[in-house]
Amino acid sequence: MANKKCVAMLLAGGKGSRLNSLTKELAKPAVPFGGKYRIIDFTLSNCTNSGIDTVGVLTQYQPLILNSYIGIGSAWDLDRRNGGVTVLPPYSESSEVKWYTGTASAIYQNINYLEQHNPEYVLILSGDHIYKMNYDLMLDYHISKGADATISVIEVPWHETNRFGIMNTSLDMRIEDFEEKPEQAKNNLASMGIYIFKWSVLNEFLQKDNQNKDSSHDFGKDIIPEMLKLNKKLYAYPFNGYWKDVGTVQSLWEANMDLLDENCELNLFDQDWRIYSVNPNHPPQYISPQAKVKQSLVNEGCTIEGEVIKSVLFQGVAIDKGSVIKESVVMPNTRIGKNVILEKVIVPSNIVIPDGTVIKERKETSEVLLITPESICHFA
Amino acid sequence: MNNRLLGVIDATTYHKGLDELTLHRSLAAVPFAGRYRLIDFILSNMVNSGIESVAIFPKYQYRSLMDHLGSGKNWDLDRKRDGLFFFPSPMIDSSNSGIGSFNHFVANIDYFYRSSQDYALIANCYTVCNIDFSPVLQRHIQSGCDITSIQQLNQPLEMYLVKKDLLIDMIQTRRQTGYTCISDIMADIHQPYTICHYEYKGEAVTIDSVQSYFQASMELLTPDVWRNLFLRDFPIYTKVKDEPPTRYLNGCEVKNSIVANGCQIEGKVENSIIARGVKVGKNTIVRNCVIMQKCEIQEGCVLDSVILDKDVKVEEGTYLTCTQSVPFVVKKGSIQGALMNS
Repeated sequence: MANKKCVAMLLAGGKGSRLNSLTKELAKPAVPFGGKYRIIDFTLSNCTNSGIDTVGVLTQYQPLILNSYIGIGSAWDLDRRNGGVTVLPPYSESSEVKWYTGTASAIYQNINYLEQHNPEYVLILSGDHIYKMNYDLMLDYHISKGADATISVIEVPWHETNRFGIMNTSLDMRIEDFEEKPEQAKNNLASMGIYIFKWSVLNEFLQKDNQNKDSSHDFGKDIIPEMLKLNKKLYAYPFNGYWKDVGTVQSLWEANMDLLDENCELNLFDQDWRIYSVNPNHPPQYISPQAKVKQSLVNEGCTIEGEVIKSVLFQGVAIDKGSVIKESVVMPNTRIGKNVILEKVIVPSNIVIPDGTVIKERKETSEVLLITPESICHFA
Repeated sequence: MNNRLLGVIDATTYHKGLDELTLHRSLAAVPFAGRYRLIDFILSNMVNSGIESVAIFPKYQYRSLMDHLGSGKNWDLDRKRDGLFFFPSPMIDSSNSGIGSFNHFVANIDYFYRSSQDYALIANCYTVCNIDFSPVLQRHIQSGCDITSIQQLNQPLEMYLVKKDLLIDMIQTRRQTGYTCISDIMADIHQPYTICHYEYKGEAVTIDSVQSYFQASMELLTPDVWRNLFLRDFPIYTKVKDEPPTRYLNGCEVKNSIVANGCQIEGKVENSIIARGVKVGKNTIVRNCVIMQKCEIQEGCVLDSVILDKDVKVEEGTYLTCTQSVPFVVKKGSIQGALMNS
């Protein structure tokens, strides 16, 4: 087997506990997004669009739906004879099961996989973010800098720097210092959780980190600081464009609403950088004579007989007569009864909203409300 | 028991009345209902009925048909054993015959010999329906008939079920009997076979002219017709595309329409079928139209009772209005400009 130039390792074991009931039976990367996609589609599509054809997907938390969704990777053209997508769950070694305790330990436990492909470079990704990025350009940058590691960074507003890992860089973007969620930030370049390493260097540091009993086995907390301490060449790769961590119900809703903005930087209609996903087979959407649809994204298989304004509807959603859906996200195969009013909510998959349910803007808070099958009976 | 049935789709048909839509494609590949091609209906019906081996006999302009079907993966027919077979006709000039031409079958007679199935279902490629063939086979076996013809209100739907050995016999003796196809046998009152009829009660439309194509498209807007055709448990499969969801922009007005994915709609759409990836510009009115894939209708246009074939561009301010009884077909890939109106 020919050696690969670059192999991607996609961390998809995240629990996403701040997404509440959405991730009760679902890993965060499998959470539906944008009317048709799951969050992980963006990273997998970026890989295939960047010409990376070997991707290890590390799963751990609630992997059933995620694993069957990824399948053999054909949706992203990653069903390859040599390489392609490989799901890498934790496994037991002799007597004990070794769970992935940190991002670095997850990669360490799959050193076999990496050795099998013996790449020159390893790209570490997370399956939690919505963005479009050409990793090939980042790899070119990494090579031209002669870096041991390159970390993709994005400018964040100064008042939010305490939520991110912040890179302090020299003029030529060499990373001098790394601060995790600093109170007083010296810079506003935040790590996007995207790393390219020279495989030989990463291998060395993973082995060393594994021996260290005090380590939390995390890239941001352990591997990167250790590399900086030993004066390795680390560079920041500045990224301009749309990038969003959809870690909370509020940010998930906001990112969905971003798609409705005509000037949104994240263009789903770009034929040259398609976002691929598993295409469920549904008939086209039917818009009835009484229906009204405005400023919305609507997927196949929807039947709309009511009013839909500034909303995102996933496949197979039915909205009955007299209902008004406003600034909401309705996930797959959910049926909304007659004369329902929903404002600023996220409705999960496969539920029925009974006739006459009214959930309007809550005065006390501007926060978006995540409906659950249990909570819906209180409103009906 | 269904793996006892072979599916045979005759895609050699050419209807003169559909010229405008079949100049560049075989009848089987004519787009329908926003995201399908005509062959999707019969092919999905066969797969949903448990048929695992399907042979398609195309003849004219089958590039788009082959592109559409690919390996058969979308119909779950990319199998090691059985699956999808494609048998283009070696006879370019042979005259048009009825459904199930023995001359086409004989060129690939090995397919019939080698298949392990006992029965064959021979069907046309232009009937839009959602039918389960398992009860047809059951009835055929119980009745002991030679040929079971599926019909609706005494009109044959040109789908026939026969024992495979008998079909092979019909093909091999075609010179002696003079029958060139199954329809020949059906048309001959002196034919020696016992024939049964199976009445199909669901929705079925035969597409054989621009008129019937347009009418069938408009009937899709009747919720009952729609529901009968696109059953949840008996889905119609097609080649999937990675189009994003359809985007309804500010100022759009869409009523009584069927819209596929990947569209961007800013104008007014009424009583229309809009296929994948269509753009409808601001202040444009599209009424009673069938708009095929990737058409772009710019700002300030008015379209009424028009069929736009794929990739048509309608330039700003163009008026194209016809009557529903005589729909107008705009050819694939053409550009319609406002100046052409005069």
